[in-house]
Amino acid sequence: MQVADKSTLDGIPDYSVEPSVVLKSPTFHDITETIVKPIESPPSTKWLIALAISMALFSVEIIGWGVSFYYGTGMWGNNVPVAWAFPIVNFVFWVGIGHAGTLISAILFLFRQKWRNGIARFAEGMTIFAVMCAGLFPLFHTGRPWLPLYLMPYPNKHAVWVNFLSPLVWDVFAVSTYFTVSLFFWYTGLVPDFATLRDRTLGKDFISKLKKTIYSVLSLGWRFSNRHWRHYERVYLILAGLSTPLVLSVHTIVSFDFAVSGLPGWHTTIFPPYFVAGAIFSGFAMVVTVLVFIRYIFDMQHIITLDTLEKMNKIILLTGTLVGYAYGMEFFIAWYSGNLVEQFVFINRAFGPYAWAYWIMISCNVISPQMFWFRKLRRSVPVMFVASIFVNIGMWFERYVITVTSLTRDFLPSSWGWYNPTFTDFSLLFGSFGMFFTLTLLFVKFMPVVAISEVKGVMDGARPSHHGGDH
Amino acid sequence: MNLHQKAKPVYWQSLEELNNDSATLEARHHEFKAGVTDEFDINEMSGISRRRFLAAMGASAAFALASCKNYVGKRKNGEIYTYNEHPVDVVIGRPNYYASSVRSRGSVRAALVTAREGRPVFIGPNKSHPTDAYSLNSHYQAQIMGLYDPARLQTPQKAGAEVTWAAADGEIIQALQAAAGQNQQIAIMAPAVYSPTTAKALGDFSKQYPSTKVYAHALHTEATRIRAWEQSHGGNLPAIHWDKADVILALESDFLGVEAPAGAEYGFAARRDVMSDKTFNRLYVAEGNLTATGMKSDYRLRVRPDAQMEFVMALANALQAQGVSLPGGLAGQVSGANLDDFAKQHGLSTMVLKHLVSDLAQAKGKALLYAGQRSSESMHILVNALNDALGASSLYDFAHAHVQQVPFATPGEVNGLIQDMAAGKVAVVIHWNTNPVYELSSLKYADALAKVPVSVALTTEMHETAKASTFALPIHHDLEAWGDAVSHAGVYTLQQPVIAPLHKSRQAEGAALTWAQGDSAQYNEKMYYTYLKKAWQDGVYRQSNALVDFNGYWQSALHNGFVKIKAAGSASPFKANALSAIQAGKAGSDYVLSLHYSYATLDGEFASSGWLQEIPHPVSKVVWDNYAAMSMSTAKALGVKTDDLVTVDVNGQSVTLPVLQQPGMAENVIAVEIGYGRTEAGDIGSGVGVDVMPLLQLASHDVWFAKANVSKASGSHHLVTTQNHHAFDVEIEQDLHYKRGIIHEANYLEYLKDPKVATMPTHPAVNITKTHEYEGIKWGMTIDANKCTGCNACVMACNVENNIPVVGPDQVDRGREMHWMRIDRYYSGTPEEPKITQQVMLCQHCDNAPCEVVCPVNATNHSPDGLNQMAYNRCVGTRYCSNNCPYKVRRFNFFDYRDRFAKGRYHKELAQLVHNPEVTVRSRGVMEKCTFCVQRIMWARQEAIREKRNLKGTDVTVACQEVCPSQAISFGDSNDPNSDIAKQRKHAANHRVLQDFNARPAVTYMATLRNTHEKV
Repeated sequence: MQVADKSTLDGIPDYSVEPSVVLKSPTFHDITETIVKPIESPPSTKWLIALAISMALFSVEIIGWGVSFYYGTGMWGNNVPVAWAFPIVNFVFWVGIGHAGTLISAILFLFRQKWRNGIARFAEGMTIFAVMCAGLFPLFHTGRPWLPLYLMPYPNKHAVWVNFLSPLVWDVFAVSTYFTVSLFFWYTGLVPDFATLRDRTLGKDFISKLKKTIYSVLSLGWRFSNRHWRHYERVYLILAGLSTPLVLSVHTIVSFDFAVSGLPGWHTTIFPPYFVAGAIFSGFAMVVTVLVFIRYIFDMQHIITLDTLEKMNKIILLTGTLVGYAYGMEFFIAWYSGNLVEQFVFINRAFGPYAWAYWIMISCNVISPQMFWFRKLRRSVPVMFVASIFVNIGMWFERYVITVTSLTRDFLPSSWGWYNPTFTDFSLLFGSFGMFFTLTLLFVKFMPVVAISEVKGVMDGARPSHHGGDH
Repeated sequence: MNLHQKAKPVYWQSLEELNNDSATLEARHHEFKAGVTDEFDINEMSGISRRRFLAAMGASAAFALASCKNYVGKRKNGEIYTYNEHPVDVVIGRPNYYASSVRSRGSVRAALVTAREGRPVFIGPNKSHPTDAYSLNSHYQAQIMGLYDPARLQTPQKAGAEVTWAAADGEIIQALQAAAGQNQQIAIMAPAVYSPTTAKALGDFSKQYPSTKVYAHALHTEATRIRAWEQSHGGNLPAIHWDKADVILALESDFLGVEAPAGAEYGFAARRDVMSDKTFNRLYVAEGNLTATGMKSDYRLRVRPDAQMEFVMALANALQAQGVSLPGGLAGQVSGANLDDFAKQHGLSTMVLKHLVSDLAQAKGKALLYAGQRSSESMHILVNALNDALGASSLYDFAHAHVQQVPFATPGEVNGLIQDMAAGKVAVVIHWNTNPVYELSSLKYADALAKVPVSVALTTEMHETAKASTFALPIHHDLEAWGDAVSHAGVYTLQQPVIAPLHKSRQAEGAALTWAQGDSAQYNEKMYYTYLKKAWQDGVYRQSNALVDFNGYWQSALHNGFVKIKAAGSASPFKANALSAIQAGKAGSDYVLSLHYSYATLDGEFASSGWLQEIPHPVSKVVWDNYAAMSMSTAKALGVKTDDLVTVDVNGQSVTLPVLQQPGMAENVIAVEIGYGRTEAGDIGSGVGVDVMPLLQLASHDVWFAKANVSKASGSHHLVTTQNHHAFDVEIEQDLHYKRGIIHEANYLEYLKDPKVATMPTHPAVNITKTHEYEGIKWGMTIDANKCTGCNACVMACNVENNIPVVGPDQVDRGREMHWMRIDRYYSGTPEEPKITQQVMLCQHCDNAPCEVVCPVNATNHSPDGLNQMAYNRCVGTRYCSNNCPYKVRRFNFFDYRDRFAKGRYHKELAQLVHNPEVTVRSRGVMEKCTFCVQRIMWARQEAIREKRNLKGTDVTVACQEVCPSQAISFGDSNDPNSDIAKQRKHAANHRVLQDFNARPAVTYMATLRNTHEKV
């Protein structure tokens, strides 16, 4: 691979050449040092403060769940007709966030997109945490959260089976499969890195011994042998193959929760692709939001390069525009169908009492990514940071608009209603960010946030033509 | 298989053989092998088996333990449920029905009380009763909750401290004797007295204490109509043959709503029945406020209440021009009133007035004017005169005339009493289940009462008057008491206790008779029963010339709940001299306050019933509150919107109320319901709404209407509704109920020409899969929108039958009311002249139920007889079913409402008795909805099996259908071609709601037909 970031033809950058994934030509050893530095050095004050804030927010969620569990779902603003509201919005939002991880690690891996290697580990981790955040919502969302077993098809004395016609049952399978496969995928990638950490942990004190034991167990006896690598590569490829359809299926099935129902505004065939595009959109935005910090804090600008971020922004631009197309298409189909109720729902979305939410969604999701048409803005860290936050606000509101506005005004005008979120609703929403960041912070402290072996694999030194260098 | 034969070992060669072996198959299909579940019969035991030995041992041990166990302690803890001595007529699990009657302060209705294991749980109408067969509206049904109200007065009290009955009796007798000795007045404030035996007891009391005077007074009565009738015709006020009237003009009358006399809805609906060959009647309503009757009208005229007199006079004048001859000097009295001028002045449609005049004139003998309970005496006299001129006397039902046992006290008499009390001339006041401190606050009753040395309140609740009286003495609830009533001539209705008194209460009459005897020791629980029986033996029995002995007669009367005696009613001609009492009125253009009865609490009597407070107002759908209703433009002129506060000032008395912008109101009319703002109505009714009693003009000619000063006040108060209406000026929200095929509506005259116009054309629905064929019974319901008056009786019956919890205003505001039935109201047209349609909405039990497919745990599913079922135990509460229900009829237990409402009121020992034991009490986190009263279906099926016959659709009456006063609800087997509903389904006006959605509901509706001359 050629080093191209500085190459110019008469002062114009040559875009036809792939930029190098890792800049500044570090040695393999430098890479290892850079990546394991946060793990091996004592926690910084900044990290502790960030963790304290996150955990405080997380405890708000725990209290929120406790209150909901103790008193009942009435603690939320849900009602009839708006029987689904914040918790389902949050669920879809977090599941969507999780999509970037699998897309980056699996699909981009299969497509041999080497630039993914710098961000894949983090994105995978984010998937796990986002799905964990998401999973709590449907679990505790039910009126009787102590009976989740009823949603599992298991032989029982009542001889009652789950209803396989219900998308919620599909959801149970889709999300749990997704979580399991993602977890394995992530862990598989981590095994060589755990081995590296094991080998580097040489201290004789109790903490070091404990660490070494844990890393030894987690690394499953990895010895960097050729055979290990061969098996590893194969397993990784298989898991990538398994994960790829899941990227599409999970959000498709989540979208079925809406699309399979008969509710105008939900009952749309465009939902599966639209939801998947939206999920990738929000997931990439979340990766950008967090990576911008991580690469700065941990001095990884040369590993998580601006070129990588720019590529991510291109995908954000693409998926944002896809989502915008879907928004337009929904309107077109509503008009084209000639279905009065359907037409009403969409006019009501854009101009009814929840128009503010709709226009927040449009401006964040469709308008804000359009600035990524410009290279300068695409490569500007502050711009992408703000834009990625906008995108996630927009994507949260997209789910809010779909869920709440459709439910508030459905078929019978007599049962039209209104939704007001409560304090508990907000505590669960913001608290789930607390949970997400708590897990993320623990992750970046205790595990290699960038896949050491993978990054090394795409460095110049890893090329067969390369001579010299060290380990 | 012979059980006693030693089981042979089974050998098998292959798995298939094992699996297909007949014994294995048999075993697989019957979890319990033959003999295991057999009746335990010791004689058949031969060569005792291990199983039987254990069974015998177990049973012996259980019996032995049972005989040793001290159950007394357990019973006190409410843990066991059995009879020590089994009552003869009670079979556990089998309901008993008692014909009885229930009453409000103003009226009385025959009822059939369902008791389970000795506990009354449902009050339904007595369908065989000659006058009250269909007239048991929500207030009477809700008295079940009143019986078990923990806030009931339980022991005799003197100045807030508990006393014994003997002590109270002693002091009261002393006071009465002293008063009688000094010839000082003893006043008995009684409600409307319909009971001849109560009247007799009061008479006996008065005989003993001659200075006694009985004042029968209640706000919600026909007293004004009766007084007017006495003046204009004399004799008893006749009932109305509602079913014979072709044209009805209701003048500020809510005769299909809160003022409905017995049988009015039924008679009216009989002429709104597409299944019968009778033509539709036509209803004109002239009113200032929008009432339930106004919503039902074909033509509605917005007339201020203080302009009604002028309107009717102008109408009389116009009728005269059409050839109607007016009695006496009426022609002269009305000559100045011109209908066209009136129309111009009040913005009424001349076209509608033209129709009104010609319809009334042409339907001579079949046309009826009907003034409201709250209209003035002179209005009633004028209406009586006009009815006479229109030949409406053929619509009068003298055979069932209104009978009063104690004549209502006139306003003058009530005023006089209060003045006497204030002047210290009254020695003792006995409040006979009345609450004048609250009701007569405009006459400063409380101040006057303070001057009375001894006052007694015979009461079921510790209300304002009971608090202000020296003695508050608990009396029996209607379901604990004996009694009788003659509300209509010739129909003697009995009242029998259905449960033993729950508290230390006494029968009011018994207490009075004890005082009359002057000795507390004379009281016994059977006292009034004996008295009543004796009175019947001497009275009714003798009159009816029955051929049976009295005991047989009495038992059959108790069984039926009533006795009918031929009453000789006769028409008396209109007395022209009554016309002089008519006072012409002229409306101003300033604000007029119009006070109304509350649909929930009537006159405040039912304020402590959570069920009633939470029933949505038929018009505004507001719950738990009263408010100042006004038109949009009146509100605009005042600079207020809904929920803002206004101060209404009438003759120096002022109250501040929240505003509700109500479509269809006459301009400058402020309509407010009484019966709110009670201060002593237990933990439920106290402090709900605003007390407007001080604004009643009890001393004036027009009690309920008065000129008012209205001004905006600072602050706001949020009114809670169960249904908002759309903005009239947003085009895409207009007429959605028509556009979406929710309401199907047509003009009656066009429908007569071509019945097909009644329903909207629909697209044929195609099912790509085979649909389920229902063999045998397929339950279904039809609701006739033409008959339904939106009275809420069905909603209440459903609440009572199905243990539906009260959730409180905060939860209703969050959109979490639990009612399984609701009555949807839709406006179209302009806010000034809205066209209103109502629709009863409940679970539609769809064959293609959208809720069933999305439930992940199969908690909601379909029964083979077409019910959409809920398995509460299986429900985890994902609420997906509710989202996917296009009718939004599912209700979710967001909280444990029984625990949450009014600090766990439902868990109090008494309050929980209100639950129907046949219906599961739902826990938190569970979805619920209408079950088509599956418990009643199961009961009927069980009976059919027991009687070895096939279950028929007619065997089941669901709760809402049972109580519907207009019989708008039919329920039955739609597979039975002879059933009512199968016939109705074939009718051209029959339709389903949201037909194109293709959920294929089992509930169908009759299209709304408006009997107007032209398509409106």
